[in-house]
Amino acid sequence: MNWMQKYLRSTIAGPIIALLLIVVFVGLITPRFIHPQNLSNVTLQVALVAIVAIGATLVILTGGIDLSPGATVALVCCTLAHLVRKMGVPLPVGIILMLLMGVLLGFINGFLSSYGKIPSFIVTLATMNIYRGLAFAITGGITIFSVSPQLEPIFYGRFLGIPLPFYYVVILYGSAAVFLRYTVAGRSIYAIGGNESAARLSGIPVNRIRMLAFVIAGLTAAIAGVLETAWLDSGSAAYGSELALGGIAAAVIGGASLVGGYANILSSLVGALTVAVVQNGLNLHAVQLAWQDVTLGLVIILAVGVDMWRGNLGQYLGRLFKTAPEKTGD
Amino acid sequence: MDAAKSALWIARGIFKSFPGVQALDDVSLEVFPGEVHALVGENGSGKSTLVKCIAGVHPRDQGELLYGGAPAVFHNPTEARAHGISTIYQEFSLVPTLSVAENIFLGNYRTRKGTGMIDWPVMRENTRRVLEELSLTLDPDAIVSTLSTAEQQLVEIAKAISIDSSLLIMDEPTAALGLTETKHLMDLIRRLTAQGKAILYISHRLDEVFEIADRVTVLKDGRRVATAPISELKVGEVVRMMVGFDVGLHYPKERNAQDHARLEVEHLSTDNGVRDVSFTVKVGEVFGLGGMLGSGRTEIVRAIYGLDRITCGHIRMDGKDVRFHSPAEAIEGGVGVIPENRKTDGSFLNFDGPKNITISRLDALLQGPWLSLSKERKIGETYVKKMNISPAAMERSVRYLSGGNQQKVIIARWLFSEARLLIMDEPTQGIDIGAKHEIYNVLNELTANGISVLLISSDFPELLAMSDRVAVVRDGHIFQIADGNRMSEVELISTASGITLDAEAAS
Repeated sequence: MNWMQKYLRSTIAGPIIALLLIVVFVGLITPRFIHPQNLSNVTLQVALVAIVAIGATLVILTGGIDLSPGATVALVCCTLAHLVRKMGVPLPVGIILMLLMGVLLGFINGFLSSYGKIPSFIVTLATMNIYRGLAFAITGGITIFSVSPQLEPIFYGRFLGIPLPFYYVVILYGSAAVFLRYTVAGRSIYAIGGNESAARLSGIPVNRIRMLAFVIAGLTAAIAGVLETAWLDSGSAAYGSELALGGIAAAVIGGASLVGGYANILSSLVGALTVAVVQNGLNLHAVQLAWQDVTLGLVIILAVGVDMWRGNLGQYLGRLFKTAPEKTGD
Repeated sequence: MDAAKSALWIARGIFKSFPGVQALDDVSLEVFPGEVHALVGENGSGKSTLVKCIAGVHPRDQGELLYGGAPAVFHNPTEARAHGISTIYQEFSLVPTLSVAENIFLGNYRTRKGTGMIDWPVMRENTRRVLEELSLTLDPDAIVSTLSTAEQQLVEIAKAISIDSSLLIMDEPTAALGLTETKHLMDLIRRLTAQGKAILYISHRLDEVFEIADRVTVLKDGRRVATAPISELKVGEVVRMMVGFDVGLHYPKERNAQDHARLEVEHLSTDNGVRDVSFTVKVGEVFGLGGMLGSGRTEIVRAIYGLDRITCGHIRMDGKDVRFHSPAEAIEGGVGVIPENRKTDGSFLNFDGPKNITISRLDALLQGPWLSLSKERKIGETYVKKMNISPAAMERSVRYLSGGNQQKVIIARWLFSEARLLIMDEPTQGIDIGAKHEIYNVLNELTANGISVLLISSDFPELLAMSDRVAVVRDGHIFQIADGNRMSEVELISTASGITLDAEAAS
């Protein structure tokens, strides 16, 4: 089997093709795109969606869906701002508390979706409202500004000339990839998504693993929340609203299947980059925000379409070379 | 052949290929009105493909289809149906969330004249009439997902006969049916052929083929090997044509049972219908559970595997008292299960072979905190070689494997997890005879290695031949336990149905 077929077979091929096409297109029509300052901006813009996409991918892998990360981000921003600015809690303590809160919020989602037997769509639809409502309650609806001067380097700091968020993304994705490929829990997540009843019969603790996926999703949302607070040095209940669907979009563009069991975590990063590059291109051309939403929607359709048609493309090539395309878990 | 009675349907010179495989190679078939024409062959011989080409599902590469002498071209199953071809598929084409009536008239609703709205009373009446043909009394409004597999198969059949067709294609129609239902189906087939309809009957169950068919066509590797009246053939000849070599119709049973007990069940009752069940399975023994559909065999097994709650009684594994509250505990305790429906309950279609094999014992792969993928590959290779599994299983998702290979992968999973008691629920259902024999050999190897097997099979000759002892289950209780070669099929059926059949009716 030649290298071209093997490449086209893998799940990550489609998303990378789409991304490359978009990067080339945007780069050609936007001279300022390749500029290092702009690339730095893209990195910052992509970081939050990319991190939320990790949690989204894990939940989607188990066959569920999480609509709440945006609300978690808002709640984390507001709580952190309130703790640090209004109650004088030291920033490091505040951050640790926020990560724990993310775990708790994810735990609630996971518990209701597994032991509670409520479909995750409904659970996270509800918690999406509850968590954001709590965020409003904490701030009373106003924005808390100037949370802490220590926040700035967390987001805007650089190491070896590269913005720190780049490293956060790399570390988190690296950990997620290792987790999914080389741990029992990670393998179990794929098993549950692939065939839940077979997983149960094979001795996999389905409820526990599903809860773990939601807990990780809550944690990644909390991390994104801390970074959002650092980015804007403020806390508001309105923050993060686009992140929930952005994370899901990134995962889907990356080839994750909403039925569960099929996803590649690194493709989700490609998906997040796709979204960020498109938005960046539109910004550089000073396109109105409304059209950016339209474009994002079209990108999702195009990217998923490429993924679907690639199967047919592979089949066409297969007829030339006498083999068939396929889709495996990762 | 009566020259005046010309063939109703003729398929001539059909060629069909898929990427990498020539599924049909110059196959021709003639079906006469009022005949039951059986189509037999191993998995992969092209039976299903031929059927799909005739029924308009696949476009053929070459060849023609003639109806009453005139060419017939279908671009989709609806056109085929309009021309009088009705198909019952092996994997049901029912919508589980809809009712029986809605399924039977799927796409074919009876509407009130003028309004286009569904005429429910008429539909319900028609449904009842159709079901009566199958001697089935089901509520037309019953939701299909609540029905048993046998009932669902009958609804699938009802769907096909509700259309006025000249050719009825049946692909493994008795796969999920018990004895009584199969008998009703056979009666129905005789009634339909008396009306002049033609039936193309595909089945792995050669005893059925010999009972009901007028002529049989044997396919092998996409080619027609022979077509002949059934009266001119013996079963052994047909099998030889299908498989290409001489497979003795005897079952290759090895007796490896040892003296000490592996599993002891005493006065077991559960909240799911098991009533005071007691039996012992020895080390290296194949213990068969025989009974009709719904007799409680699966429920007994569910209790042992930790899926149902035990209300009273004891279970002992290798002398130790055990009570499993979940499959994980059962696996820990050395039990494994190969479920009846491997697609929904057994195989992970998003995993390749090695991943399917290791899934029940992932901790054996751990090197430190990490799974060793290279170890997993080696394990995969070991089992592929040992159990003669198709090497494609190493690289690709198991969805691309044949039923027999998928089954072997699942068996490998439990061998790897070091199960000492394997529960096999209908392990050879829907598998061709060559692969069946491979499973029998696997059974022998398991028992030779001291593994005990709890075997459920509705193929009674198979059950009686491959089990050391057989227990007859009825209404959640065991009524008789005897040596497999001392119990006749008649006796098993009698005890299982609580009635006495005379020898002629049951053979």
